[in-house]
Amino acid sequence: MNGSEIFGAWVAVFLTLGIFSYLYKDNPFYKIAEHVFVGVSAGYWMAMAFWTQVQPNLFGRLWPTPDGEISGFLMKAWYGIYNIFGFIVPSVFPNGGINKGHGHDPNFIYLLPFALGIMMLMSVASKLSWLARLGIAYTVGMAAGLRAYAFLNSNVLGQIKGTAVSFVDIPFFSLTGVSVFNNLIILVGTITGLLYFYFSKEHSGHFGKVTRVGIYFLMISFGASFGFAVMGRISLLIGRFTDLISYGTETYNYASIWVLLLMIVLLAIWTFKGDKKAVN
Amino acid sequence: MDKFLDFIVRAGSLDRRVIFVVIALVVIIPLFFPLGLPIRATNSSQAVYDVVEELKAGDKALVSFEYGPSTKPEIHPMTVALLRHLFQKDVKVYITCLWPDGQFMALEALEQVADNQYHKVYGEDYVLLGYRPGAEAIIKGLVSNIRKVFTVDSRGDFLDDIPMMVGVNQVADFDFLFSASAGYPGTVEWVQYAADPTGVTMSTGTTSIQVNEVMPYVQSGQIVGILGGMPGAAEYESLIGQPGIGTSGMDAQSVAHVVIVAFIIFGNISFYVERRRSKKY
Repeated sequence: MNGSEIFGAWVAVFLTLGIFSYLYKDNPFYKIAEHVFVGVSAGYWMAMAFWTQVQPNLFGRLWPTPDGEISGFLMKAWYGIYNIFGFIVPSVFPNGGINKGHGHDPNFIYLLPFALGIMMLMSVASKLSWLARLGIAYTVGMAAGLRAYAFLNSNVLGQIKGTAVSFVDIPFFSLTGVSVFNNLIILVGTITGLLYFYFSKEHSGHFGKVTRVGIYFLMISFGASFGFAVMGRISLLIGRFTDLISYGTETYNYASIWVLLLMIVLLAIWTFKGDKKAVN
Repeated sequence: MDKFLDFIVRAGSLDRRVIFVVIALVVIIPLFFPLGLPIRATNSSQAVYDVVEELKAGDKALVSFEYGPSTKPEIHPMTVALLRHLFQKDVKVYITCLWPDGQFMALEALEQVADNQYHKVYGEDYVLLGYRPGAEAIIKGLVSNIRKVFTVDSRGDFLDDIPMMVGVNQVADFDFLFSASAGYPGTVEWVQYAADPTGVTMSTGTTSIQVNEVMPYVQSGQIVGILGGMPGAAEYESLIGQPGIGTSGMDAQSVAHVVIVAFIIFGNISFYVERRRSKKY
C-alpha cells in the first residue's frame, strides 16, 4: 500500500464521517465535506466533458491533423488561428493539428455548435446574455424533437402493448409467472389508475368508487417506491460502512478509528462552546 | 395498561438520533458477524441470468456503465457478477459509459474480473470505449454509427486498430445489451433509443429506487429481467455460484429492513394511541 492510497483513504474517511456528522446536527465538518463534494464534482464533470467531447470531437473536427502540407490562403489562415490558440494553450491545441480519427479535412459545420456553445457562455455577461437564449432554444428544440418519437414508441405504444394482456391459454393463478389473475390485476390497475386522473367528471357515485380503487393501486405503488428507496439507502449505508471497516484496519493506519475519535472530540468542544455562547 | 401506553407514547417521540444509532448498529453488527441468511433468485434476476446463459462464445455484449461512487454499493456488485458470467462464457464485452465516473467503475470492474480473474486480452476479448457526454444523443449516435461517437477508445487507440471492433458498426450488431444504471441517462434512455428501435435483447441492473420506474418496461417485455439494487446483485452472484460483495451485504440489509419495519409499526401504534387519547380528553 503506497502513501497516496493511505492518504486517499484518510480523506475518504474524513469526508464520509463529515457527511454522517450532519445526523447529529449541522456542523463545520459537514460543511467542509459538502463544499468539497460540490466543488470537486463540478470541476470533475467540466474537465471530463472538455477532454472527452469538446477537445477531441469539436476541436478535433475543426482542426484535424492535415494530410501533408497546408495549401490555399483560407486553409493557411484557418490553421493560423489554430496556431495562435496552440501558442496560448498547447495542451489543448497540440502542434500540427488534433489527430482523433476524424479525417484530415476540417469539418466547418461544427462551427455552428461551437458558436452556440460560446453563446451559452455569454449568459455570464449581462449585456450579451440574450445570446444564450439562442443556444438554449436550439438545445430545447433538439431535445424535444429527439424525445418525441422515442417517448411515443417506447412509453406509449410499448406500454399499451404491455397492458393488452392475454386471458387465454394461461393458468388462472400463479405466484411467479403470467396468469389470468395477475393479468386481471394489471388491467384493473391500469384502467382505474388512469381514471383517477380524469378530472372532467366529478369523482362521486359509481365513478368515484372506481377511482377509489385507482387510488389504492397508486398507494400500493408509492409504498413499493418507498420500500425500494429504503432498501437503496441501506445498501449505500452498507457500502460506506464496508469501506470504513476496511479503512479502520492496520493497512490504513486505523484511519476510521482515529478520524472518528478526533471528530467526536472536536464536535464535543464545538457544541460545548456553542452552548456557552448561547447562555452568555 | 396505562403505564404501558404512556411508555408507547413517550417512545413515539424518541430523539431521531437514537434511531440513527440503532440503524447504524444493526447494519454494522452483521457485517462483522454474518448470519448466512439464504438468498433466493427472483424471476426478474433469473430472467437476466437466462438471457446471458443463452449467449454463445464469441457473441457480442454491449455493457453500459451509468453509475458512480455514490451508487457503487448497489450497482458495482452486479456489474462484477455480470462480467464474470459474460467472460465465463467467452462473450466479447464492449463497454460504454454515459456517466463520467462510470469509466472508473468500469476500469475497476475490468481489472478485477477481466485481468485478474479470467486473464482476458484487451482489444480481443473486451474493450472499454469510454465516456462521452451527451446522454441520449450518444445512444442515438451508437445506434446509427459507433464511429461517429467513438473514434478512439478510452486508451486513445483508434477503433479501426482494435481487432474486436471489426464488423461492429452499430448497436444492431450486438447480441445483448446491458445497462447498469443509477439514473439519468440510463436504462430508460437505452430502451427508448436503442433496444426498442433495434430489437436487440436488453437487460438492466438498477438502483433499488429505480426499480418501480423501470419495472413497466420489464412487464411489457421491452427489457428482459432486471437486477434491483444490492439484493439483485446478491441473487445474480448466487445464480453464477460466485458470492461477492452483494452477498456479504445481504445479512445487514435484511436485519436493517426488519428493524425499520418494526420502527414503522411502533411509530404507527404510538401515533394511534396518542390520537385516541387526544380525542378522549
